[in-house]
Amino acid sequence: MATAEKVLVYDRIKGVKQIPLEEFYTSGHRTCQGCESATVMRQFIKAAGPRTVVTGSTGCMYVANTSYMTTPWIVPWMHTQLGAGGSSAVGMAAGLRALMRKKRIPQEKINVISFCGDLGGGDMGLSAISGALQTDYDLLIIMYDNESAANTDIQATGLTTWGAQTTFSPVGTVQRITHRRWKKNVAAMLAVGHPNCRYVATACATFPPLDFLNKVRKALAVGGPTFIHTYDPCPKGWDFHPRYSHELGELGVRSGLLPLYEIINGEVVYTYDARKAGKGRIPVREYLSRQGRFAHLTEEDIAYIQRMVDEMWDEWEVPGVAPFRGTLKVSA
Amino acid sequence: MAVARPIGIYEREELLTGCQAVAEGIRLANVDVIAAYPIRPYTEVMDAISKIIADGKLDAEYIVADSEHSQFEIVKHAASVGARAFAGSSGTGWMYGFEALVVTATDRLPVLFLVGNRALDDPGAFGVEHNDALALRDMGWLLCWVSTAQEALEHVLLGYRIAEDKRVMMPMALAMDGAFLTHSQHIVRIPSQEAVNRFLPPFQLGERRLHPDNPVSVAPQVNEDWVMEIRRQNWEAARRARGVIAKAYEEFNSVFGERYTAPYYFDEFMTDDAEVVLIGMGTVSMPARTAVRRLREQGHRVGYVNLRWFRPFPTLELRECLRRFRAVGVVDRDFAHGAPDDCGVLMHEVRSCLYPVRERPTVVNFITGLGGRDISIQDAVRMYELTQEAARKDALDGFVTWVGVRE
Amino acid sequence: MIKRVEINYRGIFQKTLAKKIGGDIVMIAARMGQVGFSNGRYSDAPERNGIPCKYFAFVSPDLSEEELEAECGAKLDIDEANISVVLDDTMVKGVEPWAWHGVRPINEKVVPYGHMLIVSRRRPEELVRFMARKPFPYYLALLEGEASFAGLWVYRDDLTHERVLGALAALDPQLISIEAVKGHLWDKTREQRRVEAAQEAFEAVRHQVYEVTPDQGMDWPYEIPTLPKWNEFSEGVVVKAVPREFHLGPKGQSRNQLFKRGTTKSQRPVVRFDLCTKCTLCWLECPDECFDPTPDGYYDIDYEYCVGCGKCAEVCPVQECIVMVDELAFEDNRSPWEHWKQDPEGYVRWAEEKKGTHRVLPNVVTGTGARVVQVEPVPVGGKPKPAARAGT
Repeated sequence: MATAEKVLVYDRIKGVKQIPLEEFYTSGHRTCQGCESATVMRQFIKAAGPRTVVTGSTGCMYVANTSYMTTPWIVPWMHTQLGAGGSSAVGMAAGLRALMRKKRIPQEKINVISFCGDLGGGDMGLSAISGALQTDYDLLIIMYDNESAANTDIQATGLTTWGAQTTFSPVGTVQRITHRRWKKNVAAMLAVGHPNCRYVATACATFPPLDFLNKVRKALAVGGPTFIHTYDPCPKGWDFHPRYSHELGELGVRSGLLPLYEIINGEVVYTYDARKAGKGRIPVREYLSRQGRFAHLTEEDIAYIQRMVDEMWDEWEVPGVAPFRGTLKVSA
Repeated sequence: MAVARPIGIYEREELLTGCQAVAEGIRLANVDVIAAYPIRPYTEVMDAISKIIADGKLDAEYIVADSEHSQFEIVKHAASVGARAFAGSSGTGWMYGFEALVVTATDRLPVLFLVGNRALDDPGAFGVEHNDALALRDMGWLLCWVSTAQEALEHVLLGYRIAEDKRVMMPMALAMDGAFLTHSQHIVRIPSQEAVNRFLPPFQLGERRLHPDNPVSVAPQVNEDWVMEIRRQNWEAARRARGVIAKAYEEFNSVFGERYTAPYYFDEFMTDDAEVVLIGMGTVSMPARTAVRRLREQGHRVGYVNLRWFRPFPTLELRECLRRFRAVGVVDRDFAHGAPDDCGVLMHEVRSCLYPVRERPTVVNFITGLGGRDISIQDAVRMYELTQEAARKDALDGFVTWVGVRE
Repeated sequence: MIKRVEINYRGIFQKTLAKKIGGDIVMIAARMGQVGFSNGRYSDAPERNGIPCKYFAFVSPDLSEEELEAECGAKLDIDEANISVVLDDTMVKGVEPWAWHGVRPINEKVVPYGHMLIVSRRRPEELVRFMARKPFPYYLALLEGEASFAGLWVYRDDLTHERVLGALAALDPQLISIEAVKGHLWDKTREQRRVEAAQEAFEAVRHQVYEVTPDQGMDWPYEIPTLPKWNEFSEGVVVKAVPREFHLGPKGQSRNQLFKRGTTKSQRPVVRFDLCTKCTLCWLECPDECFDPTPDGYYDIDYEYCVGCGKCAEVCPVQECIVMVDELAFEDNRSPWEHWKQDPEGYVRWAEEKKGTHRVLPNVVTGTGARVVQVEPVPVGGKPKPAARAGT
């Protein structure tokens, strides 16, 4: 675990006073009050700096952010289609590499970053991201996960937490729980399937402090195609007062529902170790009860979620990451 | 076609399929980024390009994408940073990536795509049909059909030249008939790099390119305040393209000899004193022109119009051309079920183009060659005969005949 | 004749409420034999929480539904409103729903002798002073109450809906009469408390309608941008990025000049710089990049862009250092750090006065309400008392 950390040389932000003061994603975006995904935008580009080109897939962070003919972006930014988080990054990286090699633009390191939401990246765009992670381009794909199609007024996606109310999974008079899918484990799935991808991480923009900024720095320093999955509490869709966004993220992580880890060159490093041997977990109830979208859950429902989370950390071969429970013994 | 051969313009002759000829064009255009995904019949162009790159004859990024959607998005975004880019597809593959094609046009990124025309599923079919490329007709693309391998190579150069013109900046789709052109081998004259460089300047996206030295935001979300003005801008570009296209052919001729004749958007064959013509796109010109020659020998005054540019549609030029005839037979290698008179797409356009002409010719339509069905010389002769009949009977105006269907 | 009612509300928080009111106006008018329909301003969707949005109801006693639809349907916005309802009184400071629309007066659409109905605890003059001066008189009615904020999934059923309907009946009985309002509520819910709430508001508002004369209100300070013609902006959907610019001090960071977000807030953070430990958290966690680092290590606020989410107040580790205060307690968007630098003691007195009387304490789940409380002031050098924390 520690070895991977040691060999990774990058420009680490050691304290809050070292965070660059300048913004490259600035005020004047039509995001919600307390939008945690906007914080993801702001922080990734702060960490990456101005020599960066960015694409953003359709979703909240497209539609809310840029209102024609204005923009909150200071760095070059371009819209891309919902499922094109991976392919847009490949396109830019390939174009820049070709133009530099053919000496039509100066040779330099330009960061290529694309972002997509959980619907665009985790559902529709999974194939394109997989394609991108098989290339040898330097690029970073950030999937900002607010657990819904938040731009179309909160519909369930493959990453919505089990049981949550959305406009596609309403609470009915006959059926209480209509979203019965368990949250898709996108970061780990990508890490497992793309052994040449040297950096995959999950993050929460505000917990622990500095962590996301440094994960972006690490991803860019490791090079090659890299992927970060961020957990973004959404005050609109999850239904909590905007001033508590950061707290919700922390509760989600500490309850073990949102595992925080990095996979660097195949080694797992827990950012928050929710195993009993590590920092442990708070009950999921503390996280769930603070959100209007779970207001309909019964004790039984909460117990079910708790059981699933406990299994994830106590029984999985790689806790919180890979849902294997060892190998079967081959009988003679 | 009689061709002047100025010395130094062509470097060699080679036996190439239509797809391989396009690949040679891509090499000569010094394309920067190519994204590939397999579907026949267009795939062979990607096979050929990958070998050209592997042999060190072209310096380009070659990406094997995970789907057509990714393939098209990759080249769109490569173009957005200022790279010359190429992709292509056929049939349902083309349709799979369609979302990306739509935005490439509204982003006004001048990439070049090859459409190896193929029938749309189901049932899975691989023969030629034009509906795949024709789906672009309302999307803000340049769309052009070629009918020989030589034209295919040359239209890669013409295509980039026109698409990348500052007044145009629209994506370009080069369509060619699957199998008949994509896969048949012909002797193709390959231009020298030096001559190509004189005709095709390097791609400059200018102040729209995505680069840290040129911070821009591309395609922010609009509300109702902007869309109409943006569409108006795109219309203007399509209008400007008409002039740019003609100029590009003139310059092409000045570099490569008199290859094409005005008005360039279409070719006329034996139409001077013709009473009746057929008009079509792509390889249907082969049996049609042969039929014209044979019918002429029997004293029939018939001719053929080979339409090359479908978008922008050469409204005025084609109107002036076709109004001279008694009857026009429109050959559609596509279908538009439920369209007026249940006609084909080209019929719809030609009739609409001729509508303002006071004494317009009788126009009839032939649906033929669907799914790669042969269009024989006899089929062409029959279409001429039916068109001649229409020239005598006004009542046949708008009549649609399926030619070559078992009945 | 057409009666146009617009309902100004805060995105998401009051979406369900506004839609219910708009829909019920149509249903009640129909009971009275009129035709009507209701819709939202389509470009407001997808709504972001806090952003000023609009819902409309159109009613006519004599037109056919088709004619009414032709006159009022599928429009971006209406040109004039007979009644303009405002569900959160902080919107009287202006509304900016989209880029290129500018900050517009809340009473922009009100016609001569038309009505404004504002849900507020304030006196009329406290609201009118923020509104644009109109060249003609109109009426202002106040429905006493807190802005009713709910979440997407938890509707705050605090009878605001019924009370607004009752108040509207008081303002224009021809639009909807109180009898029809009560009949509709009873038929729909069979709950006497809803009928009574409407009746109570009807009685209260009937006696609290004020005439606003052309000498009242302010000269509107904001320009409304003009949209360019099709050939007056660049082709290829390209927009110049915000220029890169940064220096320490107020407004030292370049920002999007054509879309400011200030009208999204109904509360704003008040900072006691003298208590600040310069921990950076308010600046770091602000989702709207509103904090400007100053040369002396503090964080100034650009209120033109602050949306009032309250995160800074929540993350601030020092009690009483950052406190959220009702937006109507403030006259302008001046730099608080400059204010403090120029007059340290005066600033603290000013800040404590605002905090003392207009502090806002929200609950965690959006639909469960907020409180405005009064607390003891903290003098310069004084130890702050433990802040009241929100419950869940």
